[in-house]
Amino acid sequence: MMRSVVRLATLLAADALLPSRIQMAFTLAYHILLVPFGVALPFYTLLMEGIGVFRRDPIALRIARRWSVVMAVQFAVGAVTGTILSFEFGILWPKMLGRFGAAFGLGFAIEGIAFFLEAIFIGIYLYGWRRLPPRIHFVLGLVLIPAGLLGAFGVLSANSWMNTPGGVTMDASGQLINVDALAALFTRALPYEFWHFVIAIYLTAGFFVASIYAVAWLRGRRDHYQRLAFAIPFTVAALLAPVEVVVGDLSARGLVTDQPTKFAAMEINWKTQSHVPEIIGGLLTDSGKVVLGIVIPSVDSILVGYSPDAVAPGLSSFAPDARPTTIEANITHLAFDLMVGLGSAGAALAAWYFFVLVRRRDLPQSRWFYRFAALAGVGAYVALESGWVTTEVGRQPWIVYNAMRVSDAVTSAPAAYVWTMLTVLVVVYAVIGITFVTLVLKLSAQWRRDDLAVLAEPPEEGVPYGPRPATFEAK
Amino acid sequence: MTAALANISALVLLMTVTAYSVAGGVDFGAGIWDLLAGRGKQANEARALIDHAMAPVWEANNVWLVFSIVVCWTGFPLLFQSVFASLYPLFSLALLGVILRGVFFAFRHIASGSRMERASSLVFGISSVITPFFFAATLGAIASGRVGVGGPTLSVWDACVSPMSISFGLVALAATAFSGASFLVGDARRYGIPEMVDYFRRRAVVATFVLVAFGTLGLITIGFEAPRLLSSMIGGLGTPFVLATMVLTPAVGYLLWRRRFFWYRVLTVGAVSSLVLAWGLAQAPHVLPETLTVSQAAAPVATHIALLVVTAALVVLVAPALGLLVYFDQRSALESTK
Repeated sequence: MMRSVVRLATLLAADALLPSRIQMAFTLAYHILLVPFGVALPFYTLLMEGIGVFRRDPIALRIARRWSVVMAVQFAVGAVTGTILSFEFGILWPKMLGRFGAAFGLGFAIEGIAFFLEAIFIGIYLYGWRRLPPRIHFVLGLVLIPAGLLGAFGVLSANSWMNTPGGVTMDASGQLINVDALAALFTRALPYEFWHFVIAIYLTAGFFVASIYAVAWLRGRRDHYQRLAFAIPFTVAALLAPVEVVVGDLSARGLVTDQPTKFAAMEINWKTQSHVPEIIGGLLTDSGKVVLGIVIPSVDSILVGYSPDAVAPGLSSFAPDARPTTIEANITHLAFDLMVGLGSAGAALAAWYFFVLVRRRDLPQSRWFYRFAALAGVGAYVALESGWVTTEVGRQPWIVYNAMRVSDAVTSAPAAYVWTMLTVLVVVYAVIGITFVTLVLKLSAQWRRDDLAVLAEPPEEGVPYGPRPATFEAK
Repeated sequence: MTAALANISALVLLMTVTAYSVAGGVDFGAGIWDLLAGRGKQANEARALIDHAMAPVWEANNVWLVFSIVVCWTGFPLLFQSVFASLYPLFSLALLGVILRGVFFAFRHIASGSRMERASSLVFGISSVITPFFFAATLGAIASGRVGVGGPTLSVWDACVSPMSISFGLVALAATAFSGASFLVGDARRYGIPEMVDYFRRRAVVATFVLVAFGTLGLITIGFEAPRLLSSMIGGLGTPFVLATMVLTPAVGYLLWRRRFFWYRVLTVGAVSSLVLAWGLAQAPHVLPETLTVSQAAAPVATHIALLVVTAALVVLVAPALGLLVYFDQRSALESTK
């Protein structure tokens, strides 16, 4: 026992690679929680504000204004956690930036412009509610939507470059000697990565916001406020859910040629051959066997080439130091299955919603529907995070696919330093998360009280704290 | 061609660092005065003013930081790698300040209940000291010549901690307190709060003296540790800016002391930006003194063309937007909903 503890401790202290990977994964996973709110929530808020302004609906305006308060705080948290990420490239992976910054960095330069526009217009939007004329406020707010998309484009361009690097010429020693800027910005993976991610965050923001009001419905709130705040984001998310299934399928197909090792890991397929079955769940062992899991014959091949005869890539066709390890392949596979499962569930919920909407010309009234809708918010988040795990863990051991290994990019800082920094960040991020949630819950309780006060307009008699009517004393 | 383009990118990098020092610096300064305000009615008034003045603009000001990092790693990847490989502890501490400051400023805004608000204010104030100190310390460490090309040549501790990194940090604290107070005078005048005008006017004058003292101390440490840098500061490209900051800083102090409320904000911007430019241009053409020049660190030519296009887009798209924000802000069209 003691000896294994010592061995573990030496292992952990020996190498900065593990804590650096954990720190990057942790800070990125955290930041991704805020992305749907930063990029997509302005769209929903503006949709609501548009309804309020152009259809003269004061309730819609009140909803938009409240959403914007939450947007403000989460934008601040997102802005700083994003800043941390850009510095972590230098603190944790200096050699990757030193070698490839000239190409990889370009997407971030575009993101920089977008970030500027977002920060400026969010300032105007949040603080302009009272003094700016409503239509001008609305129109200026509209800038947030393309700015958010431009920012997503920049970051996804950089991530796509890591997955399918392009636009660079290197000499024999691996030194970068020339860059083709446009080719580096628009790499093969960009089209499917961009649309898959953008739809995912719009979907997640819509389902998450709607899920709050699904809970309100379950608790008995049935007014115009609840209907509007539920139906608008839910309808948009439900329209996107089936689209995401198609785009996701195209993304997976793109990987067959672009990143065969990632595709093989997602499917835990060991041998490159035809008639490869699809395995749902299940684990790959070191010897290439699959245990547990549901096996559906030939479906993986059909997914690859629309035919059982199509050849699907297998992990064993790649050198062990150029493909994910068994553990990484299993993580990739389970994350992928989780994402696909939740995505399909979201599409099914959307079908239910539209079926009721078309047949009854009204929102669903079933408790079960709202129970699922209440879960859809968290479900969408879990799907988003597992999609990200799929793409990042599936790329291992590469930081730049087939060009640089993660272990060659890592900092020369001592492991103890990175462990310390990781610990501090975990504590700080936990404090931020807890404080954020506490404050938002307090705000929402305050808003509920405000709404109840409006609903319970004091009747003529029996005002709780007013002078008591004479009849009271008579009794 | 390549050299000329790389020089333009280097200038863009220096300008973004300058812009962050000025725009972000005003916000850091406000945070420092927030921390020093203490308790009581006057302190609450000062905090309310700081809140009001900072809220709509601080996020936009913070983007300069991200943008300078991006220009650095894209345009000068080797510089980026070298600086981070040697100075990662300073960056980690500055970053800790960045997170806590931004987040707790936003939290203070929606916090109900005075305990939560006080705690948020404290975190915000302390991190407003940490961040500028450690960011400026990295510049001091670079200027001292302790950053090795490609990786550390000294121990990381020796690279980070030197009289120059400490004196640069102190100058940054004084400069941000100085510019923060000067701009808060303007905000107090805009909102028509005469007591706050006086409150921050007095603090601006004190900060002027501190900045002059720390600035002198800074020059002395440069003289000891990096005599070549000092010589091009007093007889080279950096000279006009050294002179500018030596004239403009006391000028701002004098104007505010005598209640001459004109030009003082423009001159504040001039004083703080000259401070940064004095260092940056004195170091030219080196990005790491004596070991790495702009063209040695530069990315391939196409990257610089792309950066130039992005910079042009930044000027075309962001400048008018920033103008709009400042216009609304200065006409008090932006107001906290709290």
